[in-house]
Amino acid sequence: MTQFEGCPGSQAMSFKDQDGNDADQDVGKIKSQLGQWPIQMHLISPTAPYYEGADVLLTADCVAYALGDFHREFLKGKSIAIACPKLDAEQDIYQEKIKAWFDDAKINTLTVLIMQVPCCMGLMNLVQQAAQSAERKVPTKCVVVGVQGDILQQEWVE
Amino acid sequence: MNEYLNRGIKEIITEFPEIDGILNDYEISCGPCSVGTCLLKDIVTIHRLTKDQEQELMARIAKAIHPGKDIKIPEIEKRTEVKPKEFRYAPPIKKLVDEHVLIKRWIGLIPQVVDYCDLKTEEGRQLILDGVDLIRSYADKFHHAKEEDILFKYFDENSDIIKVMYEDHTRARGYVKAVLDALDKGDETAISENLMAYRELLTEHIKKEDEILYPWMDNNLSTIQVGKLYSQFTKADKEIGFSPEKYERFIINLEEKFKQKEK
Repeated sequence: MTQFEGCPGSQAMSFKDQDGNDADQDVGKIKSQLGQWPIQMHLISPTAPYYEGADVLLTADCVAYALGDFHREFLKGKSIAIACPKLDAEQDIYQEKIKAWFDDAKINTLTVLIMQVPCCMGLMNLVQQAAQSAERKVPTKCVVVGVQGDILQQEWVE
Repeated sequence: MNEYLNRGIKEIITEFPEIDGILNDYEISCGPCSVGTCLLKDIVTIHRLTKDQEQELMARIAKAIHPGKDIKIPEIEKRTEVKPKEFRYAPPIKKLVDEHVLIKRWIGLIPQVVDYCDLKTEEGRQLILDGVDLIRSYADKFHHAKEEDILFKYFDENSDIIKVMYEDHTRARGYVKAVLDALDKGDETAISENLMAYRELLTEHIKKEDEILYPWMDNNLSTIQVGKLYSQFTKADKEIGFSPEKYERFIINLEEKFKQKEK
């Protein structure tokens, strides 16, 4: 892996497998586990039927590209919304939508998947602010994904 | 050695008392357990030891059972991936761990309650009644009921570890009934003996839950189950019909009262 200095969120890195070794890759077509549309946070309605009582993933945009087995390991059986805490505008709307998941859609759990880069923590902060303003409490888990697709941290948050 | 993996721990400790001390070195306290039917292999699995610790423990146990012999240490199949001991509980399990705090504060006060108890006074009788109310309402109806009616249903209720928990709850209820019977008869000695027996039982019971049962359950609950469990706990707490804060106030007042007496 070669690294260059700069902002950790936009730091250029290359970690292509130098040996071209793909022995551990699955063969054949992998079925999508996406069960809804739309998914972008500005486009979704937090009270859409597929969020009611659901186990919801709030995923930073880059996560699905980094995690090799995102569909089977995380998306299966869950509803989703995606966002970028660094580049998206009007994130106060996101906070309101997350609050509506808690209070109106009465979601079962929320799993927040973010990348290891510091700017991604903004998505978790947004969730914590929404949770504080919500009347209903929902078990919330934070999963931090490394830029090479490994799970660096996975824990329930207060 | 393999045959011992499938035997109850109490039976093994009775035959090889040294093993109790060995387990203690790994913070596994099977000695005082009232039942002891957990199998050796299950005990090793659920205590979340690292691979090195597990191998070292098994080697010491093998040496105690077969002194002087070179025994092949059997591998124990893990049911789940072992996590480090320090971790954050899932919210419903954390709720139960947090509820233990008030119960532990109460059992910490029992020796002073026993010393202070004077059944000739109305205040003395009321103190016992208030303590029993905390046990029956907070510890049993509020806390143990969530375990028995909700949490344990997510697991095999016939597993040894859950059977031990049920048995502890039943014995605790027996001690509390005996306290009330003794209060009716004005028998201070019996009140004292049964409260102290309750204290000893609950101390071990909470230790087993905090250190073994809850971490193991936490490890085996799926995200979806955690959400459902949390909703069920919240609903049960709302329907309980009393405020748990009442018992926190009782403990705060009692701690303050005994602190004043010590001065």
